[in-house]
Amino acid sequence: MIEVKNVSQSYNRHGQRKTLEDINFSVREHTITALVGANGAGKSTLLGVMANLLPALSGSVLLDGTDVRRVKTNAMAKKVAFLKQTQLLSIRVTVNDLVEFGRFPHCAGRLTQLDRDKVSQALEYMNLTELRERYLDELSGGQRQRAFIAMILAQDTPYIFLDEPLNNLDVKYSVEMMKIVQRLVSELNKTVVMVLHDINFAAAYAGYIVAMKDGRIIREGVPEEMITRETLRAVFDFDFRIEKYGGKNVCLYFDNE
Amino acid sequence: MATESRKPYKARRVTVFVCLALLAPASVALYIYSRTYAKAWRIGARMTPAAFESIMGRAVPALIGMSVAAVLIAIISLLFQTMTQSRILTPSMIGFDSIFVGTQTLLVFAFGAGSRLFTDPYINYLLSAGAMVAISVLMYGFILRRNKNNIIFLLMFGLVLSGILGNGARYLQVIMDTNDFYQVQAATNVTVNNMNTSIIFLALPIMLVVIIAAMSRHRTYDVMSLGPDQARGLGVAYEREVNFNLVIIAVGMSVATALIGSLTFLGLLAVNISRELLKTHKHLPLFIASALLAALTLILGQGAVELLQGAVPVTAIINLVGCSYMFYLILRENRL
Ligand SMILES: Nc1ncnc2c1ncn2[C@@H]1O[C@H](COP(=O)(O)OP(=O)(O)OP(=O)(O)O)[C@@H](O)[C@H]1O
Ligand SMILES: [Mg+2]
Repeated sequence: MIEVKNVSQSYNRHGQRKTLEDINFSVREHTITALVGANGAGKSTLLGVMANLLPALSGSVLLDGTDVRRVKTNAMAKKVAFLKQTQLLSIRVTVNDLVEFGRFPHCAGRLTQLDRDKVSQALEYMNLTELRERYLDELSGGQRQRAFIAMILAQDTPYIFLDEPLNNLDVKYSVEMMKIVQRLVSELNKTVVMVLHDINFAAAYAGYIVAMKDGRIIREGVPEEMITRETLRAVFDFDFRIEKYGGKNVCLYFDNE
Repeated sequence: MATESRKPYKARRVTVFVCLALLAPASVALYIYSRTYAKAWRIGARMTPAAFESIMGRAVPALIGMSVAAVLIAIISLLFQTMTQSRILTPSMIGFDSIFVGTQTLLVFAFGAGSRLFTDPYINYLLSAGAMVAISVLMYGFILRRNKNNIIFLLMFGLVLSGILGNGARYLQVIMDTNDFYQVQAATNVTVNNMNTSIIFLALPIMLVVIIAAMSRHRTYDVMSLGPDQARGLGVAYEREVNFNLVIIAVGMSVATALIGSLTFLGLLAVNISRELLKTHKHLPLFIASALLAALTLILGQGAVELLQGAVPVTAIINLVGCSYMFYLILRENRL
C-alpha cells in the first residue's frame, strides 16, 4: 500500500517556490492510476518523491506503513520500479544487457536461471526478442522506449511507476503498451501509476485518474466522473469537446469549428 | 540478424586477453634484457652471472614497483570514471597527485624533516592518504552531488587544487631550511627511474585491498554506470557507494604517487584503450585489461627507453601520447 501524506516539495533549497503543495492521496491497489495535468504541474516530481528518488520538503510517503525514507534502497527496488520520463545512458549496451539490469535488485548481478527466464519473459512481453542482441543506439526511439519498459518488467515489482511511457511510441504500440499494462494489473496483480498526456488514453485504460495543477491535486476520481467539460477545463485551462462514443466519453481537442 | 552483433565481440575479447597475456612476459623480458645483456654488449663487456644477479637485485624491485603502481592507477582511474560519469577524467588529471607533494612539504615545514610523522613510511602514508580522502569527500560534497554537468567544475577544481598546492609547496620549500628542503625533494621527486621502493611492502597489501574491493563490487559498478537515478532505482545506495569508492581511490592514489610519482595520463590511456579494445561496459574485464595494459605500457616503454638509451623518460612519452589521445577523445565525443 502506498499513501502520500501532506507532501510538499521544492527544488529551491529554502523551499521558496513549492513544486508540490500538500499532496494527499492513496494509490489504489491492483489498478491503473493515471496522473494527468499540464506541463510543469508536478507529475514527475510527485512520482520521484513517491519512489524516494527526490526528497520531500515535508510530509511523508508510506509504503506498507513505513516511511519510504527509512526503507533500504535495495528493498525499495524490489517494491517499486520507476521508468523516468527521459532516459539517458552514457554507456553502450545491448537490449539484453539493459533488461538484465532490471534483475539487479534480486540477484545483485549474478543471474540465475530464474533471472534469465524473467528477462526472456520481459523481452517477449515487449516484443523485443528479435532485437535482444542489438545495441540501444541502433534502435528507433520507440524500440528504445520499449527496451526500458522491458527492464522495468524484469524488475518484477508489485508497484510500477511509469512517467510518460507512451513517449515515442506510435499509435499501434501505444495501444499495445496500454494493453500490456492492463494485463500486468489483471494477470500479475501489479499496481501501476502512470503519467499520461493523452486524456483519452487515461479515460480508456485507467481505473482511476488523478489530476494535478500547479503542484496540487485538484480533482481525482474514476474516468466517468473525470471526463467532463467542467473538470477538464479546471485541470488544463482548455475547453475540450466531449462526445459519447460506444458508451464512453471521448475528448476532442481540435478547434470546435 | 538477432545474434549477429554480439558474437564477434566475444572472439575479440578472447583475442585481446590472449595478446595481453603474451605481451606481459615479453615486456618483462625486454626490460630485463635491455638492462643486462643489451647494456653489456653496448659497452663491450661480458655479462657475468654475478653482474646479472646484482642488476636483477635492482631490476626486480623496479619491476614490482612499476607493476603495482600501474595496476593501482588503472583500477582507480576506471573507478573514478564510473563515479564521476566521465570517460575522460582520471584522478591524476585533476591534480590528485599534487596532494602528495603538498602533504609532504607541509609535514616537513611544520614538524621538521626529522619528525616521525615524516620519516615513518606508515604514518606518513596514513597522513597523505587521509588528506586525499578528505579532499575527495569535499570535492564530492561540493561539486559532484550538486552539479549535473560537473566535468567542467571538476577540471577547474583540479586546476585550483594543483595550483594552490603546487605553488604553496614551492613557497614553503623556499622558506624552509636547506636540509629540510633536500629531504622534501628526495621524497617528492620520485619518478620511474627513481622509485621509492622502500614503501613496496606498504604498497603491495594496499594494491591487494584495492583489487579485492574493486573486483568484488564490479557488478555494482556496472549498474552505477547507468547513472545515479537508474542505479538508485535498481537498489544501489548511490551516495554511500560513491563515498566508499572515493576512499578506495584516495587510498590507492596516495600510495601509487608515493611509490612512482605522478603518471598523469597512464590511467586515461589504459582505461580508454581497454574500452575500445573490449567494446564492453562490464567492469570486470575492463579492470583486468586496463591493469594489464597499464603495467605493460610502463614496463615495455621503460624497457624500450633503456634499450635505445633514450634521453626522454618513459613518463614523458606516455604523457605526450596520453595528452594527444585525450584531445582525440574530446573531439570525437564532442564533449568532456
Ligand atoms: N531539477 C529541477 N530543478 C528545478 N526545478 C525543477 C526541476 N525539475 C522540475 N522543476 C520544476 O518543477 C515543476 C514541476 O516539474 P515536473 O517535472 O514535476 O512537471 P511535470 O508535471 O512532470 O511536467 P511535464 O508534463 O512537462 O513532464 C516545473 O515548474 C519545473 O520547472
Ligand atoms: Mg514530467
